[in-house]
Amino acid sequence: MVTQNVVYRPGSLEEAYRLRTDTGALPLAGGTDLMVRYRKTAGLVPDPGRPVLFIGHLKDLRRVEERAEEVRIGSCTTYTELLSQKAVPEILKRCITLLASPPIRNRGTVGGNICNSSPAGDTLPVLHALECSLVLGNIRGERTVPIDRFITGPGENALSEDEILKEIVIPKAAFSGWCYRKIGTRRANALAKISFAGLYLIESGEVHDIRIAIGAVAPTVVRSREIEKTIIRIPRTSLQRSTVEMAARYRPLIRPITDQRSTTGYRAGVTLVLIEQFLTAVLQKKG
Amino acid sequence: MKEKKKDSTAVRGGTASTSRASISGPVPRQDAPGKISGVASYIGDLCFEGMLYARTLRSTVPRARIVSIDIPAMPEGYFVVDARDVPGKNGVHMLTDEQPFFAEERVNYVGEPILLVTGPERGKIDQILRGIRVEYEEIPPVFGEEDSKNPRIPPLFGERNLFCEYEIRRGEVEEAFFDADFVFEGCYHTGAQEHVYLEPQGTAGVFDGERVTVYGSMQCPYYVKTALVGGLGWKEDRIRVVQATTGGAFGGKEEYPSIIAGHVAFAAIKTGRPVLLVFDRAEDVVCTTKRHPSLIRMRTAVDDRGAIRGMEIDIALDGGAYVGLSPVVLQRAMFAATGVYRIPCIRVKGRVFATNSVPTGAFRGFGAPQAFFAVEMHMHSLAEKLRKDPLEFKRSYLLSMGDPTVTDGRMKQEVPLPRMIDRLCKLSGYEKKHRAYKKEKTRRGIGVSLFFHGCAFTGSGEKDKIKAKVLLKKEDDESVSILVSNVEMGQGAQTTLKKIVAETLGCGLERVRYDNPDTDRVPDSGPTVASRTVMIVGGLLAKAAGRLKRRMDEKGEVKIEERYVQPPHIEWDQDTFTGDAYPVYSWGANAVEVEVDPVTFEVRVIGVWGIYDVGTPIDERIVGGQIEGGISQGLGYATIELLQKENGRLRQKNLTDYIIPSSMDFPDPVYELFSSSYEHGPFGAKCAGELPFVGVAPAVAAAVQNAIGRPVRRLPVSPEYLFEAEHDED
Repeated sequence: MVTQNVVYRPGSLEEAYRLRTDTGALPLAGGTDLMVRYRKTAGLVPDPGRPVLFIGHLKDLRRVEERAEEVRIGSCTTYTELLSQKAVPEILKRCITLLASPPIRNRGTVGGNICNSSPAGDTLPVLHALECSLVLGNIRGERTVPIDRFITGPGENALSEDEILKEIVIPKAAFSGWCYRKIGTRRANALAKISFAGLYLIESGEVHDIRIAIGAVAPTVVRSREIEKTIIRIPRTSLQRSTVEMAARYRPLIRPITDQRSTTGYRAGVTLVLIEQFLTAVLQKKG
Repeated sequence: MKEKKKDSTAVRGGTASTSRASISGPVPRQDAPGKISGVASYIGDLCFEGMLYARTLRSTVPRARIVSIDIPAMPEGYFVVDARDVPGKNGVHMLTDEQPFFAEERVNYVGEPILLVTGPERGKIDQILRGIRVEYEEIPPVFGEEDSKNPRIPPLFGERNLFCEYEIRRGEVEEAFFDADFVFEGCYHTGAQEHVYLEPQGTAGVFDGERVTVYGSMQCPYYVKTALVGGLGWKEDRIRVVQATTGGAFGGKEEYPSIIAGHVAFAAIKTGRPVLLVFDRAEDVVCTTKRHPSLIRMRTAVDDRGAIRGMEIDIALDGGAYVGLSPVVLQRAMFAATGVYRIPCIRVKGRVFATNSVPTGAFRGFGAPQAFFAVEMHMHSLAEKLRKDPLEFKRSYLLSMGDPTVTDGRMKQEVPLPRMIDRLCKLSGYEKKHRAYKKEKTRRGIGVSLFFHGCAFTGSGEKDKIKAKVLLKKEDDESVSILVSNVEMGQGAQTTLKKIVAETLGCGLERVRYDNPDTDRVPDSGPTVASRTVMIVGGLLAKAAGRLKRRMDEKGEVKIEERYVQPPHIEWDQDTFTGDAYPVYSWGANAVEVEVDPVTFEVRVIGVWGIYDVGTPIDERIVGGQIEGGISQGLGYATIELLQKENGRLRQKNLTDYIIPSSMDFPDPVYELFSSSYEHGPFGAKCAGELPFVGVAPAVAAAVQNAIGRPVRRLPVSPEYLFEAEHDED
């Protein structure tokens, strides 16, 4: 054989941490990205060129826990499992129902989507908008990193060679509504050309919170707290700009590429209209 | 919103005289049990003792001279097979034999085969392939028709870079344009399309020291055999070709399997071991044939009363690096250039140009979809220009019996379109919707297309080239064997041909046998292409069965042979393209309703209707399968199937990027069959396989045009195209 595929299947998270430190093995949860990335000629076993660490079966990583202030999702919880959990925010569930297809949702995990760190990762704009943070563990302990500081570029993230993504922590927050749109080429099993997540809270006629996160239009998810701040807690009558002008402030942040799925012009143009429409819808709401 | 088809097998014929033929009732598909249970052996399931695997080293550049190939020392049991191992001519016979089995001095497209590595372990083969270094001296490549005029780019084929060029004239076309009140012009583009048969291509070769046998996923066992005769330089009796159960083809397994049949034959002879070559999907996408991209320019002379006086049509097809079947594809496009309309005089020019990209080839519709897109959009837009309703305008030009065709043949049968259109309008609510959507800014639209498909081979191909021969044999055990070279590839041939024989003999289906063709057993009844299997081969089998019926009482084996005889009504001159290009036509009318998203420009199809005249359906469910599949494939072609070339390389290289429709994308179609009867087809059958694909795209495009109030000139009607069209104008 060309290479010997070494595969570890730890019995506990502790053992997984130890194997990760000792061997630098590649964590594999559902395998829906990795099995494709490392595929070879038909009939041959995918080979990432280093040992593989199966973690998808670990119970500690496959649970959803609701606490007073937050929802903690085990990184290896599958998309399908998340759909049946009451504590999971509706916008994330909506995103999951548009993600891939039932067989992939049965295998694929939210932690895998984060660690794959693709600009087109479906759950990423939603998780950015929800301001979730990630618990990364290793044999020595844990650290928590906000998702926007974890993913640093296409396929790049802050996971160390000895770490495993353990949990996704979604802080609880009140919202009056949300919007999720995925622009793909077909209605199932399609990679996003654009994905849009919007959340807002309106109280006594004022926008108390608004969050806009967009995927697949830049190397990482686009979100601007700075622009959001120009809307939050400003009485609508005092808003200086039209929604078109507000959306246009996103223009420098929207830096899509032309590739085999879409064009720069289309992605940028449609994204700005999606933002503008969301802003218009929010500002028309009576709170 | 979802409209359910009432009954996919219902045939509500418009002609009161045609009652439903008894043969039309659906029966269980004969190939289904084997495929569903897993018993059927596809090419990838085959395993021979001592079998070796093979994988292909391909060109990574669009055009170059091969300076050197550096091959590391081979481990024991591993072999390289290349042009030096081709015992006969290194050219794959199709219309010509200029395409090599293995590139020798030059490569002409990315993906062109250079050599095979064979051996017992696939991982090892991959490792060897990674170690081979090919040094290229690149030559400026031809990527488009305009490059043919660039003096710094040497032509790829001939002096003008054209594989073929034809012109057809009928009537005084110059006069028509001279007298015209105005000339209406339009340019229509269509893109390439990938077949996406479920089963990628594959072959297996076995050499016993004297004879070679090639197994493969294929449509045309005798095309493969002929190509092997050339490549091996052997007598025919040393070559045997056997069809393995074939998982879809759509034309993609018409000419391509001949190349890889050669590869495994040469490898089996060189190694003395059976050799299996099966493509991965990504490899299949990169190196197998595609539908021809087209650019069709249409000019119509219109007189002062708004009547069409004449048309000039200029068709350009991208043939890729080798001629393949392109001339015949172009001919079919040209013969359909004026669609279903009676045009007083015409000039149709056509050419196929060469480019340094993967060759284009046979694909369901075979040139007709491109032509119908152009003529249907042109007629639609001309009607709008004249402020007439598109369908009413089209109706006033419909061909009818006795009218001349493009090639000055005559419509010999009734053209049932008027009644089909009435029924289509009733089912779809076209007229009311079209008017409403034109006025309202709803972003909804509905469009109609009218089309035909010329049944079987173009021109005199059946008589002069194919010369089909079938055998029907009553065996000792009283079973009856169908011996033909046509294949079941998912379209239902095993069921329909058996039904034709059983119905003629008056026996049960279970008594009729029809195994995958093996050229040692079956005569050459021609390729499984051109929607010819039921009408031509089924017709011969019906005749043979009629003769056998009178001899069924005889003891022992009885063999009946039947050969193709051209029906007396056909007159054709292949040199001048004059006469009846097809013995008969099948007809269709589609309506498609869409909604265009105002923000994302996504086209959502909300209704699809179809009325078809395929003659007597031999099995309503099988015809229904062709219709539903053809519609889905057509909707994909029309809306989402984008296959772009960039510097001679495909941008969409796998099924993640090349998107075909899923079951969630489109509503169930509503369709009906009109059953006219064709006297020379078995039980009155005409052709059905390609027809349902042909009209879908123009109906979608017309619907989008209705919805957005702007012209649609390109396939696929992608959101990016609509977005750019809207923003270019702003």
